[in-house]
Amino acid sequence: MANEKPWRDIIAVSALEKGWVTRVDIGPRKLAIYDTPSGIFASLALCNHGGADLCDGYFDGHVIECPLHQGAFDVRDGMPVGAPATKPMRVFETRVTKGMVQVRM
Amino acid sequence: MTDAIVTPLTQALAEGKLTREDLKSFMHRSDAPAFRRLAIWLLVLVATTTLITLAWDSWLIWPAMFLHGIVLVHHFSLQHECVHYTVFRTRWLNDLAGQICGLIIILPHRFFRYEHCDHHTYTQTTGDDPEMIPLPQTIGAYLWYLSAVPYWRSKFTELFRHAFGRLSPGELRFIPQVEHAAVYRDARMMLTIYGLLFLGSVITGWSGLIWYWIIPLFLGEPVMRFIRMTEHVGRPTVPQMSENTRTNLVSAPWRFLCWNMNYHAEHHYVASVPFHALPRLHDKLKDHIYVEPGGYLAAHRDILRQILRGPGPAQD
Repeated sequence: MANEKPWRDIIAVSALEKGWVTRVDIGPRKLAIYDTPSGIFASLALCNHGGADLCDGYFDGHVIECPLHQGAFDVRDGMPVGAPATKPMRVFETRVTKGMVQVRM
Repeated sequence: MTDAIVTPLTQALAEGKLTREDLKSFMHRSDAPAFRRLAIWLLVLVATTTLITLAWDSWLIWPAMFLHGIVLVHHFSLQHECVHYTVFRTRWLNDLAGQICGLIIILPHRFFRYEHCDHHTYTQTTGDDPEMIPLPQTIGAYLWYLSAVPYWRSKFTELFRHAFGRLSPGELRFIPQVEHAAVYRDARMMLTIYGLLFLGSVITGWSGLIWYWIIPLFLGEPVMRFIRMTEHVGRPTVPQMSENTRTNLVSAPWRFLCWNMNYHAEHHYVASVPFHALPRLHDKLKDHIYVEPGGYLAAHRDILRQILRGPGPAQD
């Protein structure tokens, strides 16, 4: 579709931390790339509650937990799953092409 | 986009006190250590409850209730861990255990979670840390705090304020709007449960609630006040975690009761680390934090020295 944002190469799949979260800086943007049992997902890296870096948090399955207050989000849709997180985090459409993680942004 | 805020953890990583691999290893969660500890916890509760029963017709019931109370008030430590989701790997088990602990010690779990978030954000920052216990200015004020009377007055005021649908200006800062109704509902539910329990007690004529729960809880709370003072009181009121928090080296029974929360500076550095990994984190960070090798008693000697010395710039 004409209005869709383009896919951008973010990081090689082989460079991801397996089963964990990897931080990637794209210009001024900080992204968190999640290697989950059901595929790779991406979100903004900073928690929308207290502003801490989610990439230093605990990651388990599909849930990323903020290292500062342990608020948690489902990385598949960004929905908050644990207080004090109450607002969805911003997630990005993600795919893997030729060994590269690509994000539509 | 703005940068991530600086936290003790980001500082520790940046300064090489911790590596990312260390962090991942320490944060590893499992349900098994919690279930093992809870099994022993229940045995301890059965033992202290039995002591009260055995001492029923003698003056020994008072020391028995005090001992039982010390265990009861340590449900705070378990609830605190549940707030951080660091007891069980299974997240809902933390919520369940936290709610039960909250009922035992009269501390609504959701409210405590929000309050505690700001304690971690603004540790020892006067006016911003909602859990800050100021250094008492006199021995009288010190003893008054340890009596737990100010604590209970504050907690009951809080509970009824929430049940009546109100929040204080301070609470409005850390409880998001979308959670106000839930905080009010929690307080009302808690009071309803207590009301039903006491109604049942009156109807059946069974006074066990008083002797096994209420009196021990109030007898034990000064011990929890004594312990909680050792975490930050008397440490400098500065943002640096290496300065503003005290880790206390205590014996195994106290570590068991407090779910390793004596490793308090380590906990503030990386709050995502479960209770069972805190001793390992201590080994990693012990040269970068303030450690009181003499435990709770030495921490209080330090606090008392500062009170007797009077107001001054030095607090360490």
